[in-house]
Amino acid sequence: MEEPRIGVYICWCGTNIAKMVDVEYIAEEVKKLQNVVVSRNYKYMCSDPGQDLIIKDIKENNLNRIVVSACSPRIHELTFRKALENAGLNSYLFEMANIREHVSWVHTDRKEATEKAKSLVIAAIKRVAFHDSLEKRYVDINPATLIIGGGIAGLTAALEIAETGKQVYLIEKKNSLGGNLAFVDLSYPDMNSISQVLDPRIEKVINHPNIKVFLNTEINEVFGYVGNFETKLFENTKAEEILKFGNIIVATGLKPFDPSVIPEYSYGKLPDVITSIEFEKMLKSGIIRTKDGKKPKNIGIIHCVGSRNNKYKEYCSRTCCSTGLKFANQLRDALPDAGIYELYGDMRAFGKGCEEFYTQTSRKDIVFMMFDQRNDLPKIKASTHNRDFNMIIEINEKLSGEELNIPVDMVILLVGAQAQDNAKDIAHAVGISMCGNAFYIERHPKLDPVATTTDGVYIVGSCQGPKGIIDSVSQTRAAVSRILGTIAQGSVQVEVTTAVVNEDVCCGCQTCISVCPYTAISFDPENNVSVVNEVLCKGCGTCGSACPTGAIKSRHFTDLQILSQIEGIMSLELEEI
Amino acid sequence: MRQTVNTKFKQELKDFGVGNWNACFNCGNCTAICGLTEKGFLFPRKSIQSIQMGLKENLEKSVDPWLCYYCGECSDTCPRDANPGELMMSLRRYLTSTYDWTGLSKKFYTSKFWEAGFIAFFGAAIIAAFLIFLPPSEGIFSNPDAFINNQGGVMINSMVDGISSTQFIKIIEYGDWTMAIIVALLLISNIFRMFYKVILKDKSVQIPFFAYFTEFFQLIYNFLTQARFSKCEKKSYWVGHLLLMTGYTIMFLVIVVLLPEFQIEEVKPWYNWQRLLGYYATFGILYFLVIAAIERLKKSDIKFKFSHGSDWLFIIMLGLTTITGILINIFRLTGMPVLTYYMFVLHLAILVPMIVIEVPFSKWSHLAYRPFAIYFAKLKKASYAKQSIKSQLLTT
Repeated sequence: MEEPRIGVYICWCGTNIAKMVDVEYIAEEVKKLQNVVVSRNYKYMCSDPGQDLIIKDIKENNLNRIVVSACSPRIHELTFRKALENAGLNSYLFEMANIREHVSWVHTDRKEATEKAKSLVIAAIKRVAFHDSLEKRYVDINPATLIIGGGIAGLTAALEIAETGKQVYLIEKKNSLGGNLAFVDLSYPDMNSISQVLDPRIEKVINHPNIKVFLNTEINEVFGYVGNFETKLFENTKAEEILKFGNIIVATGLKPFDPSVIPEYSYGKLPDVITSIEFEKMLKSGIIRTKDGKKPKNIGIIHCVGSRNNKYKEYCSRTCCSTGLKFANQLRDALPDAGIYELYGDMRAFGKGCEEFYTQTSRKDIVFMMFDQRNDLPKIKASTHNRDFNMIIEINEKLSGEELNIPVDMVILLVGAQAQDNAKDIAHAVGISMCGNAFYIERHPKLDPVATTTDGVYIVGSCQGPKGIIDSVSQTRAAVSRILGTIAQGSVQVEVTTAVVNEDVCCGCQTCISVCPYTAISFDPENNVSVVNEVLCKGCGTCGSACPTGAIKSRHFTDLQILSQIEGIMSLELEEI
Repeated sequence: MRQTVNTKFKQELKDFGVGNWNACFNCGNCTAICGLTEKGFLFPRKSIQSIQMGLKENLEKSVDPWLCYYCGECSDTCPRDANPGELMMSLRRYLTSTYDWTGLSKKFYTSKFWEAGFIAFFGAAIIAAFLIFLPPSEGIFSNPDAFINNQGGVMINSMVDGISSTQFIKIIEYGDWTMAIIVALLLISNIFRMFYKVILKDKSVQIPFFAYFTEFFQLIYNFLTQARFSKCEKKSYWVGHLLLMTGYTIMFLVIVVLLPEFQIEEVKPWYNWQRLLGYYATFGILYFLVIAAIERLKKSDIKFKFSHGSDWLFIIMLGLTTITGILINIFRLTGMPVLTYYMFVLHLAILVPMIVIEVPFSKWSHLAYRPFAIYFAKLKKASYAKQSIKSQLLTT
């Protein structure tokens, strides 16, 4: 190994660091350390002049290791790695010491803060001496895409990708395409026919030369990694088929909440208490009738059924409020003299045009009544006293404080959304994770809402959380553009700080295989050793710490690097080392 | 006790005035801006909410609409243009119809045919009765001078043949009293029904017995001064309304109670009390009528923007009564017996149906309902106070 020639740079970060840490003192002190050739302090290391300083020193002083002591590596590690590359040095011969978030921002004693900062800088200097050069790696991308779910999100994704000439495999567990939207009559707030939008898309998907549709099909397991996935399909009775693809879109959608678990609503017991799905079918058929075949005279529409209640689902299902308003409009058109009662917890008509829709609807002689969604749900009871109505809704109206009975002959329950029953199986098959409500988790809730922590797997539509058509379609198109981007690149960069097995030391105990969270390690029975798939490996280091023989090395986190870092951090006095 | 929503109530209410309660989204601005609303009587918001939800029972036991004097502030500032002031007006019409046991009030408010038919029929009956039983004397055509007194005025009670002037005035007086008693009985029975609905039927209140007496002066005081109206921001409405009310009341007393003093053969000098009272009453009524008619035509003030049929009927009937009354006076003072007779008959043919419709069944009944509502509100307040003392005692 060549003799390390280390350059150390202590950043002021304006006054952010300098006011709490004596940066000049540290720069002077660490000069005394072995192998430290240059040690400087500067106002803003991340600025162009700051980076130029590093590049100039590397060239002039022939430096081969760099330590920058500044903010969190999450913010500027890549910046400085790039600077090293520009100076012709391997970017992994670099270490960052965080003396802002970990020191200056969180301490009040300047002397002690300076001492802590100094030990962190020493640790980084000690560590960087043992850094190795690592080379970037790329894998080729298979341009085909697998889409799981044939609802509006899956259909949109399939068409978008297929139109660019790439192969699409669309898998649907039911025997028809369209998902939940296939039951819906009109869209809100524009009141256009859903089937006019949906049917031509389904037709186009079925007949598209680049789309292969598999109905009645479910996914069991997906092997491989970004760019090179593979799965076996078990299509009903047909023989199994092997598909290969580079990216996956999960668009499995939602399942309507089953209201029979809410005792107050008597769903399943009273025949004229129906769900929004059942009412949509009634609207599609064009005939609104009670079970006795009569025109309803008074209709109750209950919001938030199963949503926003600790006993059922805590979250908002996002589409029900506007759906309720849509129903009120459709009912008013069909039955001009009917009494229409919207019973809501809170009215959340968000989204473009929906608040206006609410205002317009409220002027159509619709009665809006509020109830306590968390503690005091209205109760639907049978009533035999009157020929005009067969049910009574008992409601404690929140805005007026009145205890009321509303006579009705039909009640529509706006059922909420919940994750599919097999959400966990799909998550397991494609290697993504779920939140407490069994919706899939995105990589970043704000900045990366369609990707997952597994490269090449994207989540769109209601499987990520309840949403309407607009949000589902926008999310789908976002995912599609990401996929088309990687396909266009042809290859994708993969993590290099992975684990490697020293086959001479490996005893074949397979402990590493059982602990790997990414199923990146397999067993080679011929040589009786473990083998790491470097594309799947994220470099988390779990296997390395579990390995009883020390056969597994995590690149960039070797034992030597970490031990010398610890040694550095523990040496309070420079004389000790 | 749970209240059952009346699903047909709104349909029923629609005929009593404007029906834009749908515009209201219960923000409460109207109650916040109202100078008259108070704890226990929070209007207009609560009343409108009750309309929206179809809470007929709530509304029928409520005195709130009567406590509102319609200054129009709430309608001016309503963010949704729901016009709460006019909704309160519609509720007053509706409540008037619920107090009336004959069902005529509802008919008059909701059917122009019934209203116009009743007036035409009644008016025609009066004209016919005069022409048949009290026809004009031949002499007023052939020898009009014989009916002129020495001040140059027509001797109004001597225009009919076969009966003396004292008999004539008696007939008119008996007629007046009959009308007044019938109208009063109807109105009193309706007030009792109001009392039943507002106080007796409302099980949530228990009126302390002495409150009936201690609060009674409120009734008299508010009837005479309409002091509550003066609390509204626009004071000119109160002044105009007070002129109208005093003018009308004076006129009513004069033609019923004081008729023998008022309708006499001789012409008193202009400063005589009976002529001064007459001028005051005429001015009061005319002042109000002219302003009301102009405003209702202009429609610039929100209070007058929407006019129900009963609003116009009231202006027209009272206007015609006043004009015919003035004309009688003019013809009489200028010594024209023929015109005086016919104007006298026409005046009664308009006046009598108007009073019979308006006082017990329609707009004029509020003359009684408003002060009674204030009285009942005070009783309810006494009950609330008693109940809150009781509950405080129970908790301590």
